[in-house]
Amino acid sequence: MAISVNGTDIPVPDDPRVSLLDLLRERAHLTGTKVGCNQGACGACTVLLDGERVLSCLTLAVQADGRSVTTIEGLGDGAALHPMQQAFIDHDGFQCGYCTPGQICAAVAMLRELQGGVPSYVTADLAGQGTVTAEEIRERMSGNLCRCGAHNGIVEAILQVAKEQAA
Amino acid sequence: MTEATSDYARPTALPEALALLAAGPRTVLAGGTDLYPATQAQRLAGPLLDITALDGLAGITAGPDGLRIGAGTTWTALAEADLPPALVALQQAARLVGGRQIQNAGTLGGNLCNASPAADGVPPLLVLGAEVELASVRGVRRLPLERFVLGVRKTALAADELLTAVHIPAAALAGRSAFVKLGARAYLVISIAMVAVRIVAERGQVVEAALAVGACSAVARRLPAVEAALVGAPLSEVAARITEAEVAAALSPIADIRGTADYRLEAACVLLRRAVTQALPVEEPA
Repeated sequence: MAISVNGTDIPVPDDPRVSLLDLLRERAHLTGTKVGCNQGACGACTVLLDGERVLSCLTLAVQADGRSVTTIEGLGDGAALHPMQQAFIDHDGFQCGYCTPGQICAAVAMLRELQGGVPSYVTADLAGQGTVTAEEIRERMSGNLCRCGAHNGIVEAILQVAKEQAA
Repeated sequence: MTEATSDYARPTALPEALALLAAGPRTVLAGGTDLYPATQAQRLAGPLLDITALDGLAGITAGPDGLRIGAGTTWTALAEADLPPALVALQQAARLVGGRQIQNAGTLGGNLCNASPAADGVPPLLVLGAEVELASVRGVRRLPLERFVLGVRKTALAADELLTAVHIPAAALAGRSAFVKLGARAYLVISIAMVAVRIVAERGQVVEAALAVGACSAVARRLPAVEAALVGAPLSEVAARITEAEVAAALSPIADIRGTADYRLEAACVLLRRAVTQALPVEEPA
């Protein structure tokens, strides 16, 4: 009964009604993951569960038993930033920064989905290889809201990482 | 063990889940995307049955009778499955339910049981003549979707029953389909109106048409009279045969904070015309 969080095992809480979000923040003291709406509307609490983006406020900690969670703290290697983190800095992909950890976790998973050929609602060629366009990014990042309105910088940052990965 | 702990169950086998439901009322938790927002308290309350670990509840299987979609199938799994063109409407709806994080968690079964008038899964399933599979310790029964969703937040699900699957009959796998929804903005919205259509065409004519409109009435509806008017239509005339008078007669749209009845009627007609145009096969040049 343990959850691997950024490579470290954390025991599953005795209380099954503890959300993954509360486990991360209140018990593991990983406060990079943010509480936004706490009801699945804003995306601020996005983390990666076995590599897929999920809302940690809508996930019970017990549902992550035996699985692997990556939070914003686990994306970089401690010394160096993850390329997506660096790109958000380069392109002013945030203002207050509160939505940023969720945006970055979502963006990392989103690029994997797009490059893996998973179509979105705006993908014209459903069978084709995913093309990284601003329109695709806007559609695919629609689950992460930014009240400061840094969306243009966010799109630019993701485009940069996609370009680096393709190079 | 606290009371909260003892009142939470996450079984892996269906019989165990059904026995728990038979023993007393429990709130069923699947993706949680509707349940958490509906919970006013800081945490989920009351006896819970978490069905996210149940074996065999998710997945799509094809058989001689048609398709069986497990109730625990997520929107993401639906969107990414290799399905016939008749299910394109359902897959388009799957890509429009919230953002990707919601699509990774939310399930088709949850969408039906939650019975919102704006449930995106309902119109695409109505045009497929879908049936729901309901299991309890008393046995398994099937109901047409029209007889399952009864009203706003009201279904035919008995307290001891679990929705286990949705069945699409083989006959309904013919043709092509489309889903179009209208909200106040492009993303993350509750629909003002949404439509799903499925069209079967042969030799340049419509031979079968199924149209459904959601978010305009307490329960999404098929439009049999409008469908009948489309049968026999040459492909170039299909959209023009959808008239406001016939849609109005079939729909009697509601008015609420998101739109007036007149607006909804006009929107439903426009969406229906767009959807049939999307669903029609591209005409071969003569």
